[in-house]
Order: sequence, then C-alpha cells, then structure tokens
Amino acid sequence: MKVDRRSFLGLGIGAVAGIAISPVGAKLTDDFSIWTQNWPWTPVPPDGEVSYDRTVCHLCPGACGISVRKIDGRPVKIEGLDPYPVNNGGVCLHGIAGLQYLYDPSRVKSPMKKVNNRFVPISWDEALTMVADRLGELRNDQKPDTLACITGSDQGSVPGLFKHFMAAFGSPNYLTMPDLESWLVRTAKTLHGDAYTLGFDIDHSDFILSFGAGLIDGWGSPVACIQTMGNRRQRQATLVQIEPRLSNTAASANQWIPINPGTEADLAMGMCAVLLKENLFDPVFAQGFKGGFMRFTAMVQKEYPLDKVAGVTGISAADIQKTAVAFAKAKMPVALPGKGRGEGAQNLKEFAAVHTLNCLSGNVNKQGGTFVKPLPKYLNFPDPVQDAVALKGAAAAPLAGSVQELVTRIDKSGESPVKALLVYNANPCFALNDPSRIRAAFEKIPFKVCVTSFMDETAMVSDVILPVSTFLERMEDVPSKAGLAATVVGLSKPMIKPVFNTRSPGDVVIGMARALGGDMAKNFAWDSYDACLEQVTARIWGPLVRKGHVVLSENLPAGSVETDFEFLAQNPETVKPAGDLEFTLIPIDYFRVPPTVPAPSPFAIKTVSDRILKGTDMFVEINPQSAKNLKDGGFATLTTPAGSVPVRVHFNDGIMPGVIGMVKGLGHTLDNKYVSGKGVNINALISPKIEPDSGMDAAFGIKAGISKA
Amino acid sequence: MIHDKKAHKYGMVIDLDKCTGCGTCAVSCMSENNVPFKEDESDKKDSITWMRVYRLTNNKPFPDTEVAFLPRPCQHCGGKGDHGHSPCVSVCPATATDYGYDTGIVSQIYTRCFGCRYCMAACPYHARYFNWWDPVWPEGMEKYLSPNVSPRMRGVVEKCSFCYHRYQLAREKAYASGSDEIPEADYQTACTTACPAGAIVFGDLNNPSHKVHQIVKPDPHPDPLNPDVVGKSRNPKVFRLLERLGTNPKVYYMSEREWVRKLGDHYLDGEWDKVKNVYGSASHE
Amino acid sequence: MDAALIPEGAKRCSFPKFMLGIAIVGAVLLWGVYAMLLCWFKGLNQTNMNDYYGFALWIWADLAVIAVGGGAFFTGLLKYIFKIDELKNIINFAVIIGFICYSSALLILAIDIGQPLRGWFIFWHANVHSMLTEVAFCLSCYFAVLTIEFIPNILENRQLNKVPFFHHLAHNMHGVMAIFAATGAFLSFFHQGSLGGVAGVMYGRPFAFREGLLIWPWSFFLFTWSAAAFGPCFTLLVTRITEGVTGKKLVKDNVVHLLAKISGWMIFTYMIAKIIDTWYWAYYTAPGLGFELSHFYTSNGFYGYWILVAEVIVCGVIPGLLLINKSTRENPTFRLVAIVLAVIGVCLNRWVMVLQIMAVPVMPFDTWALYIPSWQEVATTILPVAYGIILIAVAYRYLPVFPQELELNRRSEVRES
Repeated sequence: MKVDRRSFLGLGIGAVAGIAISPVGAKLTDDFSIWTQNWPWTPVPPDGEVSYDRTVCHLCPGACGISVRKIDGRPVKIEGLDPYPVNNGGVCLHGIAGLQYLYDPSRVKSPMKKVNNRFVPISWDEALTMVADRLGELRNDQKPDTLACITGSDQGSVPGLFKHFMAAFGSPNYLTMPDLESWLVRTAKTLHGDAYTLGFDIDHSDFILSFGAGLIDGWGSPVACIQTMGNRRQRQATLVQIEPRLSNTAASANQWIPINPGTEADLAMGMCAVLLKENLFDPVFAQGFKGGFMRFTAMVQKEYPLDKVAGVTGISAADIQKTAVAFAKAKMPVALPGKGRGEGAQNLKEFAAVHTLNCLSGNVNKQGGTFVKPLPKYLNFPDPVQDAVALKGAAAAPLAGSVQELVTRIDKSGESPVKALLVYNANPCFALNDPSRIRAAFEKIPFKVCVTSFMDETAMVSDVILPVSTFLERMEDVPSKAGLAATVVGLSKPMIKPVFNTRSPGDVVIGMARALGGDMAKNFAWDSYDACLEQVTARIWGPLVRKGHVVLSENLPAGSVETDFEFLAQNPETVKPAGDLEFTLIPIDYFRVPPTVPAPSPFAIKTVSDRILKGTDMFVEINPQSAKNLKDGGFATLTTPAGSVPVRVHFNDGIMPGVIGMVKGLGHTLDNKYVSGKGVNINALISPKIEPDSGMDAAFGIKAGISKA
Repeated sequence: MIHDKKAHKYGMVIDLDKCTGCGTCAVSCMSENNVPFKEDESDKKDSITWMRVYRLTNNKPFPDTEVAFLPRPCQHCGGKGDHGHSPCVSVCPATATDYGYDTGIVSQIYTRCFGCRYCMAACPYHARYFNWWDPVWPEGMEKYLSPNVSPRMRGVVEKCSFCYHRYQLAREKAYASGSDEIPEADYQTACTTACPAGAIVFGDLNNPSHKVHQIVKPDPHPDPLNPDVVGKSRNPKVFRLLERLGTNPKVYYMSEREWVRKLGDHYLDGEWDKVKNVYGSASHE
Repeated sequence: MDAALIPEGAKRCSFPKFMLGIAIVGAVLLWGVYAMLLCWFKGLNQTNMNDYYGFALWIWADLAVIAVGGGAFFTGLLKYIFKIDELKNIINFAVIIGFICYSSALLILAIDIGQPLRGWFIFWHANVHSMLTEVAFCLSCYFAVLTIEFIPNILENRQLNKVPFFHHLAHNMHGVMAIFAATGAFLSFFHQGSLGGVAGVMYGRPFAFREGLLIWPWSFFLFTWSAAAFGPCFTLLVTRITEGVTGKKLVKDNVVHLLAKISGWMIFTYMIAKIIDTWYWAYYTAPGLGFELSHFYTSNGFYGYWILVAEVIVCGVIPGLLLINKSTRENPTFRLVAIVLAVIGVCLNRWVMVLQIMAVPVMPFDTWALYIPSWQEVATTILPVAYGIILIAVAYRYLPVFPQELELNRRSEVRES
C-alpha cells in the first residue's frame, strides 16, 4: 500500500482519536493518581499485632512510669502509665518523644576512639582493652587517685557501680552534676546531718511559698508537680511565687512577687526574722533546734531587718511581712527552694534559708509539709575489696567538691592533677557555666572516657566513647528523686533490643573492671549488669520485678529531726551576680527544652516558641520599660563579663525592668541538625562563682549590658 | 462496616486555668499521628502542629501582666446552625474533607486532597496545615511510625482528626463486645490522655453522662442573639473561640479569668460588658 | 521569508526582527517555565507561601487575569446578543486576550495546587457546595468556548483559508457564534461570580465574608459585574499597547469610544454597588462579628486605609467618571489614564480579596501575616505575560485580527503619500 500524505494524516488522526476514546487515557490517569497517593518515598508503617509494655522513664529526675505501645514488638508510642505512684498516667513531652532518642542522628552507634581528632569506630573488646590499659597505668604508677569520675546523679545502681568502681580502683574523686536532688541532700546535710534528703508534700500543703521553684516549669518531678498544681485550686491551696520573671508557674500562682535576682536568700532570712520577731515559729518543733539557734535569731534580727531586706529584694516591707505571716499562719505551709528546675548553679545559703522557714513553721515531717527523710537505702553493694594501691589512693584528699571546683584545680595547675576522666550520663561541657573553660580543662586531661548514648559536647572532647543503650533499651532501677514526698524505685526494662552496638552502662562498668583484671575484676564478678542488679537490690527485687516499682517510703518519716543553725548563724555571704553592668541576665528554665542530658528531641525543639528561637537566632526577654532604643523583635548585642553574643529582643511585660531573661538549654553544637546550632547556650555567658561554704558554683545570673546591633 | 446507632458529637473542653503551656499535648499528638518534623521548625507558619499552644497575655504592663496558654486543636466546627457545613468542609472542591454526622468529626482524606488550600484559607483557627515538603525522617527513625495513621505525602493538607483511629478502635471494641455504646474511657484523644495537668476533657457532647457534657452543658438551641450559633455553653466560665462567627466549634475553653474569656472573641467597645454574662439559656433545658 | 502566511495587504516587520523580539520574550518565558518545573518537581516549598498564606500571589494573578479577561465574554455578549455591530472590529482581539487570560489561569492553577496530577479530582470527586468546584467547571467549559471562538480567526489565516473545508468551517462557525457567545456569557457570569464567591463564602474570615442572595454572597455579583466593567478596559489597553508597538492604528476611534463608554458606565454602576457593599460590610457585617473597620487596616506594615481609597476612589470612581464624560473619554490621554487606572483598580480589588484576607488576623491573639513572594512565584506569574505577548505577536502577524487594520492604514498611507 502506498502511504501518501493524505493516508498518513488520516491514519494519524484516526489513531489519536482512537486512543482518546479508548480506556487507555482513563487507565493511565487512574494509575497516575494512585501513584501520587503512594509515593514510594513516603513511608508506609507496617501493621502488626498491638501490645503494651511498661517501664520507667529516666530522661529526667522525675522517674515517671510509662507505657509503650508496640506493633509486632516495634515501639510506636509512649504514654503515661496509670496507675503509677509518681505520675498516675501523666507524662511530659520529653517522655513521649523518647522514641526519637532511639534513632537520634547524634547517637553513638558503636565504640569509638579518637584518632587525629576524628572518631573512628572500634570493637567493644578494643575499646575496653584500651580503657583498661590506660587506667591500669595509673594503678601501676601508684596514682589511682588521679582518676576522676563525673556522673549525672549519684543514686541508683549504675552510679552505684561507678562509685564501686572508683572505690575499688582507689580514687576519692567521684563527682556528680548539680541537680536538684544534690542541692536538697546538701541542704539536709547542713541543717540535719548526713544521709538525709528533703521531700515536699505539696500535694497536701495549703500554702506553697515558692522561691522561684518552677513547679510547672520542670522543677522536681515535673509531671507529679504539674498534676499537683492542676488540682491546687480545687484544694484551695495558695501558691505564692517569688521570682524576677513571670514564669508559667508565677502566671498560675495566686500571687507573683517579683524580686531582684539573686536576693532570694536575703528575703528568706528576712522572713525568718519576721517569724522570730513575732514569735510565729513552732515552739514544739523548736525543741529540736540545736547549734546556734540563739545566735541565728540575734543575727537575723540584726542583719535582716525588714527595711533593709525590702531595699535589697525590691519587695515592699509590708509585702514581706504579710507573706511571712501568711506562711506562718497557714495550716500546712511549705517553702520551696531551687530556682527554675532547681538544678545547676544555685546556692546553699538560699536553700538553707528557705528550708529554715520550713523548720520555723514546724511543718516538718507532717502532712502537707517538708519531709526530712533518710536517703533511700535499697542498694546493697558488697564492700569493695581494695588492694594496697586502692587503699592508698582512696585515702587521698578529694581534689574538689564539685565539677566546677575540679575544673578550677585543673585550670590553675600546669599539668592536670587528673590523669584520666570517666564521664557518664553528664554533659558538663554544655550544662555548666562557662563551658569553654570546662572544655579547655578537659583538654588538659590526658585520657577521657565518655560513657554516653549521644555524641554530645562532652563526648566530642573525649578520647574513647563507650556507647550505652538508651533507657528504652536497657534494664535499670530508677529511684525517684527531686523533692517528691514519697520515695519510689521503678524498674525500667528493655522495650526494644538495642538499635545499635551499645551496652547497658552497668555492663560497661563491669566490662571495664574485668578488662583491668586482678582485684578490679574480682570486685565485679557479676555475669552481667542484670545479675548485679538482682543481687544489689535483693531486698526489693521480687516486688520490683512483679510490680515494676516499689514504694520505699510513703508515710511521714518517723522520728524527730534535729536542726542545726550553725551554718546560717554565721551569716554566709550571698553570692551576687558578678560584674557592674546595668542589667542582670538570668537563665529561664523553659519546660519544652530539657535541662541537660540528653539534648532536646526534634519534637521538643519543634514546640519551642518563635519568641525564643527563630531560625538560629536566640531571643532574650526584656521589659519594654527598660528597653530604651531596642525594638521588639530587633537585633541586639548582649554582653556579659564572660562574653558577647548577638541576640534578638523579645519585649515581655512579665519580666522585671532591669532583668534580661534567656532560655537555658539551647545552642547545642552536637551532630544533629534538628537541635544543633540553634540559639545560644546561656552558660557560655556566665562565669562560675564558687560559693565558699558549699564548694559549688552559685552563679545563677550575671550582670549584662545590651545594645542595639 | 460497623455503624453506630447513635449520633455522637465528640468535643472537648480545655481548662485554661489548668493548662501550664508545657507542650505535652502537642508532642503526644505529633507522636500519635506520625507528624513529621524538619530542620527548622521555628517558622510557625509552616510548622505542622495539629495541636498548637498559643500564649495569651492581658497586655498590661509590669507588674500586672498575666499570661495564659491556649491549646488549639482543630475545632471540628459544626458550621452555621451546626448543620455540618464547617467553614472548611463547605469549600473543599474535591470532598477531601468531610463532616461526620455520626461523630461530629471533621475528617481529612489525604489521598483525595489535591492541595488547593481553600480549606486553609477558610479556617479562621489556622488549624489546617499544608505539606510544603515531603515528610522525611532521619535514617531509621521511620521505625517508630504508627500504622494507625498514614504518613502524608507532600502537597496535601492535614489537621487534627480528634484521633479518629482511636474512635475506630473503640467502635470495633464495642462492637466485638456486643455493645453499641462506646464507653467514655475507650475513646480519648492522644492530647487528652497525655495532658499532665488534666486540663483537657474529651467526650460526647450529646451524652449527658460524659464529663464534657456535664462541664459544657451545651445549649442545643440556637442562640437568640445569633441564630447561627448553636451549642453555646450554659456554664458561665466556658466559651468558644470566635463563637460569633457561627462556626460552632466543638472545642470549648474554660477559665475563671475574665480577660482570658474575653480573648476568645472580638468585641466592639462596650460590647463585652453587655454580653459577658450571657450564656446558653437555662430555659432550654 | 514567512510572507505567504501574513494576511494579504498587511505590512509586518521583517522576520528576523520579529524572531529577535520573540527570542527576548521567549527567554523570560523559559525562566518562568524553569520556575514552574521547580515547583512541580520540588514542590511548593519553592514558594514563600505558608500555612497562613495558602492563597498568595498566584491566586491573585489567577483572579486578576480572569477579571481582565472578562473583556472577551462581555464584548461577545454585546456583539452577538445585544447586536452592537461596531464591536465586530475588536471582538477577535478580545477573544484572543480572553483565550490568553483563561489558558494562563488554568496553567497557574496547575502550578498552584500541591498535587497537580490529582487536579482532576475536582471533577471526579466534585463537592457541589464548593465555589471552587463551580469555578473549575465553568472555567474549563468557558475555556473550551473561547477556543471555539478563537478557531475561526485562526482558520482565516491566508494559507489555512485556502483549504476549502477550513474556509467553510470558519464561515459557518462565525454564523453560529452567537450561540457560543451566549454560552460563554452564561458560563462567565457563573465563574466570575464564583471566584467572588470563593472569598465571600468564607464566613470564618470576616474580612472576606459577605452576606448575599440565596447561596451567593454579594461578592459573587460584584465580581461578575467588575469583570464585565473592567475587562473591556483591559482589551482597550492591550489594543492601545499593540498599536503603540506596531506603530499603526488598528481599531477605529468610534469603536474604542463606544467600548470605553460602555465600560465607563459599567464601572460607574459597579462602583456604586461596591461602595454600598463596602459600607454595609463595614457598618453591619463586620461589627456584627465584633470587628471594627480599623481592625482590617491598622497595626500592620502594609495594609492601610490607602488601599481602600486606591481601589474604590482612585482606581474605581475616577476612571469611571473619566470614561462616562464624553470629553475626557474622547481625549486619548485621559482615556489612557482611565483605562490604566481601571485595570489597576480591578487587579487591586482581586489582590485585596485574596491577599489581604490572608493577612488579617482573625483570632484575637493572632497577628498580621505578611509575605513576600519568592522568585519562583514571580517568575511563574510573569510566565503567562510572556506567553501572552508571544501569542498576540504571532496572532497579529499571521491572522486577520483587526478587520479595520487595512482600511485604517491604507488611508494613512494615502495621506502620507
């Protein structure tokens, strides 16, 4: 057949028309639309059998019971566990976001060693051998006390194992990070003697006098506190919140009393003076007052008269008087120390002065009051077998009472007195004041081992990283801390097999000891951490496994306590914000940014207000009355004696004029684009200031200047 | 198919005096509903937060400043006269969002939405979010995704569903147990169960035995002052957001504080004092 | 080179010069196409739109081109239904402009939606309550009508017209064009209106919401009216520009004056309606919802009362009056000022009814949302302009668009010689 132009055209048109009316078009369109509904790069979560498992969260001292929903064993959701004595079904955003930590981009996936300033993955055997070799040298050199260890907290069996390790090794240099619990223990020690801690029965109290305690901003056991605050109005309990800034807690309080930053201790002393002067203290409880009560009484009358305190704190004398009297006359008053979350740089004078109010009120070891309770003793570690080297080392004087003091020691010595450092569950290179100084001191330590789940700021300066499983991947006892009235020990259990090549921190300690061999290995003869846990918690192991938790003390602590006024009677000096600039910069504890370890989850960062963080810009809060030529939302330079950073300004009527507030916990530099490089770490702007009596850093704020950028 | 015999009207009441602004509801929602996240979420105008917590202030200078927080899920509007013509449902050209007359829940069919965003323009609560990006999880993190809610693809609108999948599960459970009644505790949204302050109460506004009904005491009759408004609360402390528009949300708010209640809607000068004590009439009981 | 295609007797510039012009505009077009492809393949994150600004520059461009494209249906209506015969001299051009505007609108919509491949769901899963459904149906149908209206003009090309079939087809299509014009007018009435309805029905947005008649908010009728009023101005403006570019008179003054006069009266009456609508909305609708007028025009960095004055007075009442008044209407300068202001006015109206709606805070604790379009949005918005210029250039060069061109220019040539 001859194909001419005409037939070709005809054929073409015919074909087009044919295809157009055939189902091909409709079919292709349909296929196309189905494809757009199932793009292969959008994940389709596999379905499966649903199960629920229970465990305990240990992202913060709160120790909430949580329930994990799983699909074919794969955790998909965390919820609050009900009933559970701490949180009764409640939960917080960080706990819910716990699953994100399993797959966090900054997780350490296998043991690492630093080679030429870069981390290279190694095997567990190599890592443990390397650690054992380096630590073994210290013992061979008869200098075991040059090993220091920093852990996040000192309660529970894992810190117990680290302590056991240090004792067997022969070093007294075991330090913890300054969390609320450590401050409470220190306060109890100062006023009541060793091995006590404080608990606050705010659940039943009818008058809560909070010296900046962020009861709904993350103080104590956050969920428990929020729940208590949730039903506070129904109970008709009064909350008086004293702090320089209208925190969320202050906003929800019956009364907010703004106070000049850093003068809380003076106010508490002034209130003590009022109670003593007006004879508003409990005479029965006062029978237990020892050590310098008379001198204390005389001192506060002399040094803290109303007018003077009013001048210092910026609160009217009438208000101080009225509040003190209301506190004393309440049926079940409780005074709470610990600004914000109550962790980090606080000061002993303030804690002691506030707790003295509790003591004067007599509402100690009574319902709705303050519990002076013995530290939980559910762990029974065998006594460490110390060889001659260990005995000598352990008897040496500790280098420091706090991490900051230790850093100062290293800073001031040409050669570091610490030759090796173990860090577990702590991130001092981010969380403490002036982190660059801490980093520099750590650099001087020849060998640093970081036992961590995440490549955080401290891990980055270490030489060996021993990666540990997250709380969802391991078994561990979790004692409740942080000012709860009851003491609850929960058992966290693995919800999922470790996602990466990680181990439980207990197994890491046991592994290090075994690798060291000799007496060290003998002290850690357990097959595994799980076996160790069962042994050291033998007294409560049965119910712990059966119920998932054990309540150690629920009732009022028995027996009377003595109160020693010696410390306060000397009128220790109040640590004031350093510098002479116009403003005072204070850290803001913001619930949506977790305090220290781990860094925020992507979900938590997502909830952060755009008036705190915008892009990578950090906002500071300032009262428009003292803002001068600054503009709301505008750029400014914030300067303190410790440094200078660009910030943006957020006008907040709820902050005292003359005060600048900056959210704490941002400005991470770890390898996680969802949380890193965002904002400024306020700690970098504050130089530590050691309180002589506690040896702790007490620089809660610092003087600052701000000018238009 | 399992059908309910009764028409429910699910809704919630949020106690703003209890809300601490902690953000747990928002994260619980993200975790429950596979909401994605991206490197920068600080631009709140493109950050998908089905539940968003707003900060309210009384705008008074120091020291009289007060602050409150207002969590805002989708309001599941019943629309003018509560007939189901929600602002968004009535405008969607492709029926990708629909009003459930048996539940009062405004649904969103992600696979049908073609991304015209008319619903977003129509929603005064900004409860609707567009997937400007493909959702991407860091490597391995997609393992925590729940199969109950399908992850959305780029180019579609999403929003709070009152955890509709939880309703489906509760309904199936009730059906399996031979009951046509869904117990109050069996269907609760992820934000409600997570709220540590217990500020959120969720349930069936039509069911007098449910706590939400007892708190809200919704007036089933139109408001005599504005016939578009149905379901006004008879509790003087309870209000709805932008009630005057006649959107008839099923999310109610509660506060003892007058300035907070006043911030729920717009009032001309002097109007508030006239209407602040006007609420659903008791005579309609 | 392409002389065989150029209408008989018409003078056109040289082919290389023509191609140079096309190439320059084509480069802009390609820039737009590149941006368009970015939006399609990478998604709408290429824009600066956000969850507050779901409707932004594109939707404005869409509404604006449809409004100014209204000249096609209205001129058609006048010509074929009201039998105003002089308008046959401009109807071809009005149809081409309409065709460009409507095809652009469809293209913009295809870029604007998040899932372009599912765009047809609007027909497949149509929700009859949605104004956008009405828009989609009427827009598509009317685009088909415009294509049909455009076809005879294409077939009149010198070479195509030599094919007897095409010749007769074109002739017969002209004969039945009244039916299509009527259909087009009917469809236009609804889709122009439903575009107004898009904003007017949003009762959650007091700035947009309008009460109305039955299911139609007042903005429905105002949009139809304004498209009919301002569309012819755009036809006249483009005609004037084409005359400027070609350096020739293409349409006789009496035709221009007639269309300008009709447009003037339409604008004038529209403005009365618009003012009544604005007044009713400002004094009854919005306050009834708790909003003072000032809420919509203060406390932000852009939207002040100026925009209301600009739209209603400067670009509404003034051009209306200029076109009603015979002396100003027939004065080329005043007329040009009037039609330019009028075109700006209708575009401003569409801007307000799309973007300002998005910007105004509704929740009492919310804030104004302002946005600046990304270059991708700007490029894709300029894309239809470039496409329009090219289509007009090609049509003018090869099709007998202006029936009076030869007559007008022969005369001028005679006068010159």
